[in-house]
Amino acid sequence: MAERKLERRTILDPAVASLLTDMEHRQSDAALPRREREKKAREKAKMRARRDQRATFDLPPALRQQLMEKAEAERFPASQLVTLALVRLFQDLAAGMLDLAPFKQPSRSPRYDWNLVLPESLLPAEAKKSVKKNVKPKA
Amino acid sequence: MRPCKVGYNNAGSPLKPPTMKIFALANQKGGVGKTTTAVTIADGLARRGMKTLLVDLDPQGHTAFALGLKKSPGLYRLICEGEPIHRVIQNARPNLDILPGDKQTEKVKRQITLSDFRESILLDILHDTEYQVVVLDLAPSFDVLHVNGLVASDWVLIPTRLDAMAVDGVKEILLTMGEVARRGHAFQGFSILPTFFDRTTRETLVQFKEIVKAFGSRVWPPIPQDTRVREASAYGKTLWEYCPDSPAMAGYIEGKLRLGGYRQLIEHMLEVING
Repeated sequence: MAERKLERRTILDPAVASLLTDMEHRQSDAALPRREREKKAREKAKMRARRDQRATFDLPPALRQQLMEKAEAERFPASQLVTLALVRLFQDLAAGMLDLAPFKQPSRSPRYDWNLVLPESLLPAEAKKSVKKNVKPKA
Repeated sequence: MRPCKVGYNNAGSPLKPPTMKIFALANQKGGVGKTTTAVTIADGLARRGMKTLLVDLDPQGHTAFALGLKKSPGLYRLICEGEPIHRVIQNARPNLDILPGDKQTEKVKRQITLSDFRESILLDILHDTEYQVVVLDLAPSFDVLHVNGLVASDWVLIPTRLDAMAVDGVKEILLTMGEVARRGHAFQGFSILPTFFDRTTRETLVQFKEIVKAFGSRVWPPIPQDTRVREASAYGKTLWEYCPDSPAMAGYIEGKLRLGGYRQLIEHMLEVING
């Protein structure tokens, strides 16, 4: 068996490690030709501007799949489709066309008072399965 | 009589109550931010509710100046004239007392040199106080007062600029600590604090890499270069009072993270204090 080469680990303070990495990136960026440097700066600015628009939520996998397929088929970004869906949702709520009350069930979580439990008929086929798996049988 | 081990009494017990934690700020290179760091951490820990004493062991007497107080020969009166400590300390801020110094501190060195058990005189004095934290601001020199500061300390914080001469000063202080340790003093640890940190220069990166390579986790997050630090001492205000949100205090902002700065330093010191 080949002998494993052991390397001594240096456990750095996370802030020091992060600063060091950042400085190395800056240094290597500074060595790039002007055009590439400007391109990188634009990309960074774009990423920074989009930071506030990012959101992370849990979705049933089948619903996520449906969303991605629709966006792919229509050839537009999935984020914009989600934005449209949410805008419509809030319009409907404001106009009284959608009532959340029938979906509300008491939550046992200390953080929330309610869970929104969607009827199976509203969910895509695959999502129904995953929801069923998570539902505990009644005693 | 057998001479006692440095930092211990004749019965072999440590010369200070176990709840007290003593930090020494040391670097044999001058102008690296020792006094500013000493004043800022002393006030920072005092603001966190810890009864703190700041001791000026430098004949320049700048700790009192930085706190907006007059320089006075506190250390001289304590050691050379034998006045009790409560008469020579001054209250600088809530929870923060200072044992000031001035040019008369030079005479203290001579007095100590003639004393028995001369390396542990300061530790012996601090033993009789009830502070939770003591911060020692050492002079950039190697003399008996400097050794007293190291012998008294549990943890040595070594501020350094990231230039070759200051980094060499780090090496020198570590050699001195090695000498003190060989004579029986057990340091709990030491940390290196990069100060005047300017992340845009190539030399900073080169020196930063060097000390990280040499000292690893002993390198604490740096204090960014900040002109407001100089302004604060001119007004006799601590950084907590004058510019609590300046880069030197808050560090660099990376997304949601804050990297370096005196606020983060206080958190590191509290970890040391709380074990």
